[in-house]
Amino acid sequence: MTTSGFLAALSVLLAVAAIAAYALLLSVPLVRNHPEAYVAAFAVAMALAVVAVRRARGRRWPAWTALALSSLLLGLGGWFNFVVARVPVAPPAFRVGERPPDFTLPDASGRPVSLADYRGRKPVVLVFYRGYW
Amino acid sequence: MAELQGLGAQLSEAERAGVEIIAISPDPSERSQKMADGLRLGYRFLADTDLAVARRYGLVHERAGPDGQDLPRPATVVVDRDGAVRWFSISRNYQVRPDPEDVRRALRAL
Repeated sequence: MTTSGFLAALSVLLAVAAIAAYALLLSVPLVRNHPEAYVAAFAVAMALAVVAVRRARGRRWPAWTALALSSLLLGLGGWFNFVVARVPVAPPAFRVGERPPDFTLPDASGRPVSLADYRGRKPVVLVFYRGYW
Repeated sequence: MAELQGLGAQLSEAERAGVEIIAISPDPSERSQKMADGLRLGYRFLADTDLAVARRYGLVHERAGPDGQDLPRPATVVVDRDGAVRWFSISRNYQVRPDPEDVRRALRAL
């Protein structure tokens, strides 16, 4: 295999491995909380592909394929991580040391649950999440 | 469900027994509850369908959904036995959640 072919293969492998690792290890906090790592992996894959293209003699399509794939992933990954997934920063309507607003909401069986139900009984961890819409 | 894994799964039986983990989202809660029970996460799911509670907590991300609908900002709030907030974390990137170890530390400090 030529140096160019080797670098092209390495580039594709790195990009695919980054996607697989992120998808499979999503429940590991260290992986989940560093989504910029997959963007960085795509950037390295693209750099490898650029070198592959510059060194290509004769058969050029593997290097160009690697470059097309890695630049597409870098564009999409960067856009998703730095634009789409960004949540605006604003202070919440509650403060440490104070009681947050009370609420009553139905649970899975339709029974109303209030935050105040737990007062004097046990601590509560409220997890607000986006759901699946 | 991956976004909810971690916290419940990483707390020991004893820690889970001593604290109520309440997950609040705009989803109807039945489906989430079934999945969480299957994963033994120990969460209680509440349906905040119109985001009224998220709004009162200042946790609404306006027009964030694919159809321009409002969605909650992902946040974790530790409330002590007296009903006061002791620790919280709000995501700046919705892929990111607080490290379960930080939540544990906040719970241990109560």
